[in-house]
Amino acid sequence: MTETNIIAELRNVSYTHWNHQEPTLKNVTLQLQRGTLSVLVGPGGSGKSTLCDLLNGRIPKLLGGQLTGEVIIDGLDTAKVEVKELTKRVGSVSQDPETMFATLYVEDEIAFGPENLLVDADEIRLTVEELLDVTQLRPQRRNLVWHLSGGQVQKLGLATALAMKPSLIILDEPTANLDPIATLSVYDMVLKLREQGMTILLVIRELDEFLSCADQVLLLQEGTLLTSGTPQEVLKSHGEAMFTSLGVWLPETTEIGLTLRNRHNIQMRDIPITVPETIALLQDNHLLDQPLVLPVREAQPATVQPELLVEAKNLSFRYAEGTHALKDVSFNIHAGELLAIVGRNGAGKSTLAKLLVGLLKPQAGSLTLFDKPAAQWKVEDLANHIALVFQNPEHQFLTDKVWDEIDYSLLARNVTDLEVRKETIQESLTRLGLEAVVDKHPFSLSAGMKRRLGVATMLVCRPRILLVDEPTYGQDKQMTQTLMHFMEEIRAEGIAVVMITHDMRLVQEYAQRVIVMSEGQLLFDGQPQGLFNQDEILQAANLRKTVLHDLVSELTARGVLISGEVRTTSDLLTALTTREEVQNG
Amino acid sequence: MAEGQHSLRYIERDAVMHRIYPLVKLAWVFMVAAGLFLYKTPLSGAINFVILLLLTVFLGKIPLREILSSSKFILGLGLILMFFHLIADPGNVVYQLGPLKVTDTGLIQGPIFFFRLSVVVLASFVLIWTTDTRDLMVSLAKAGIPYRFAFAVFLALRFLPLVQQEVDAVRSAHAIRGRASKSSLGHRIKLWQRYMFTVLVNGLRKAEAAAAALECRAFGSSPTRTYVKDVHFHAVDLVLLIVTAAIITVLVLRERTGFLF
Repeated sequence: MTETNIIAELRNVSYTHWNHQEPTLKNVTLQLQRGTLSVLVGPGGSGKSTLCDLLNGRIPKLLGGQLTGEVIIDGLDTAKVEVKELTKRVGSVSQDPETMFATLYVEDEIAFGPENLLVDADEIRLTVEELLDVTQLRPQRRNLVWHLSGGQVQKLGLATALAMKPSLIILDEPTANLDPIATLSVYDMVLKLREQGMTILLVIRELDEFLSCADQVLLLQEGTLLTSGTPQEVLKSHGEAMFTSLGVWLPETTEIGLTLRNRHNIQMRDIPITVPETIALLQDNHLLDQPLVLPVREAQPATVQPELLVEAKNLSFRYAEGTHALKDVSFNIHAGELLAIVGRNGAGKSTLAKLLVGLLKPQAGSLTLFDKPAAQWKVEDLANHIALVFQNPEHQFLTDKVWDEIDYSLLARNVTDLEVRKETIQESLTRLGLEAVVDKHPFSLSAGMKRRLGVATMLVCRPRILLVDEPTYGQDKQMTQTLMHFMEEIRAEGIAVVMITHDMRLVQEYAQRVIVMSEGQLLFDGQPQGLFNQDEILQAANLRKTVLHDLVSELTARGVLISGEVRTTSDLLTALTTREEVQNG
Repeated sequence: MAEGQHSLRYIERDAVMHRIYPLVKLAWVFMVAAGLFLYKTPLSGAINFVILLLLTVFLGKIPLREILSSSKFILGLGLILMFFHLIADPGNVVYQLGPLKVTDTGLIQGPIFFFRLSVVVLASFVLIWTTDTRDLMVSLAKAGIPYRFAFAVFLALRFLPLVQQEVDAVRSAHAIRGRASKSSLGHRIKLWQRYMFTVLVNGLRKAEAAAAALECRAFGSSPTRTYVKDVHFHAVDLVLLIVTAAIITVLVLRERTGFLF
């Protein structure tokens, strides 16, 4: 490959923010080739956004700080040219494009960048038309920018960056908060752009969809570029670290492949990524020759019928401005169950949650909360029985210290005894791993800690139902797993845990029951395994099966006998490997 | 969606007022306001009010229902203001009901203030109803105001719904935390401090992200920019200003010289 094919290059770059002591990036060297898709992964706080700011020229010209080494974009040294020159060459789309929109209407938004660059109006008009087609936003061209779905917002963000005719596009977690189908459509668009010769750098937490089509994977940890190379190279050298210690989500198939290779010494030329690749690997190694037997799950202790906490019958709700958010919804919640509520944005999930905590009152149908009609509950009293952890925990914080924050919850439920309060706070701090930050301001915590503090303030109220809105929001894999294990624990204590999510893997691994909402209606109420067999419902609700489910169905279709239920990759791995040991022994 | 449901916002309509150059409309609002402070009798204000209402309905094609729903708060405030003038202004008592004394000055000043308030507010509403904020910004920039400043106003409008969303979210989040102090007022004050803090912190973060995004999109990189949707000034637009000036002149002259009626 010749020198001219490099669009962007970092040469021994170290960078320290003006208000930091320690460098955020340490001696990073990397190259982005023209027309390729590079994927940048790493745990939260590893320096991913700093790296993006280096490439789009905000560092060093606008953000200051101390920069050593060279950043070259299209042959220009970013420290020596004007930011304006770089904005023409690098397009950035931030994680939440809604905050970057500067105008009111979709078509105006696309034109905004080139207008600033003094591009001729007729030329801009052509660009806008072209991009409306590329992003399939033509029907929404006169829409207000805040009347778009999550997927459309991302596409508009992409269009605004493309309008500047850049040579490199940086996308910061474009699918972080999208439902599975919207995620797929954004992926398709990114791949199409690469086909047309665009260079793309994608910052991402989950490698799932892109792993098989990325040209280069860059792995960042604590400011150091651990490795860079093709997906296979990176998986072979750092794959296991990625999904264990670095908190990067990998496809279930790849996790299985890596575990077989690294812990069970099974030889393979390539780490499998897709389902067919995985099956081929298993067949070649004769792992499918015999039926797979899963260890029998510990049967739930046959107690009395769990207590009924919530009973909703033919519940309907319509907002004042006319949105029919819930239509004839009936369901129950029992003590000690882990229930997932899934569905695309606007399906009625949040309305349901607000009805449960008393922020909204039911209009038609009946809703009984703890043996009392919902209408008779006051929000404050209900808070002692059912707690909601908001998507953005900051919204719930009321004090200036972590300790006081938990104390507030206790005071709110009239626990006045100082000793009792001390003991309870100490206990919940230890339980959620927040001891080290007792004196810090809640707003200054890391994303994962804020989330856990949110949970702590709710749990000391000893609720009988804990409602968690999007447990994965803003969290990497490790944070999510810590949180989910904790949910499992409190569920075992008899608290009902209800999570609102569109992460199907979480549903498969943890939920005992799942409710699917679509356009205000309840489409499904049952076990996750049962849901995955109902293609029509999945399609109607914009949901997708997990890769693990696809793998298991494919195995079954090929006549492999599987006894027992496969919920996690380790379930399947145990079944595969115990028998292998039997064979070897 | 809760936002954008209120009726005080620009809606595309095929009406005369919509086609007038935004800057002319802005000047017109100021002219109407200036006129109101020259009037000395309630009748001039009332005539002005009626003319403005007719203009809004016929030249702006704004349905009466929308006008009412947007201005009921301000009309109510105007009525309260008028009532206070009626009973509080010094002067000769012309009517007495228990302890309430209505004076002759109050009878004149009350309606004057009512019409001042409602006409100024209604005129500004007409500007909002009939003008795309983007067009107003463009016309300001074309009049020589640096587009970065003209745009600041526009951006503020753009972020208002986001702030409203944030306030709603914070309010519900606080409600379910319960109340930790016995005093209801103390609790209220504490909550207000928190709203301000949380909304401000998140607002600043959003503003920072927005500023970064604007930089990346070359905002302000040159002193000028191009406009895909340009607005054009037509001399005929000035008719609005001329007619308004004429009406104000006639009304003021009538008051001072007593001609006509």
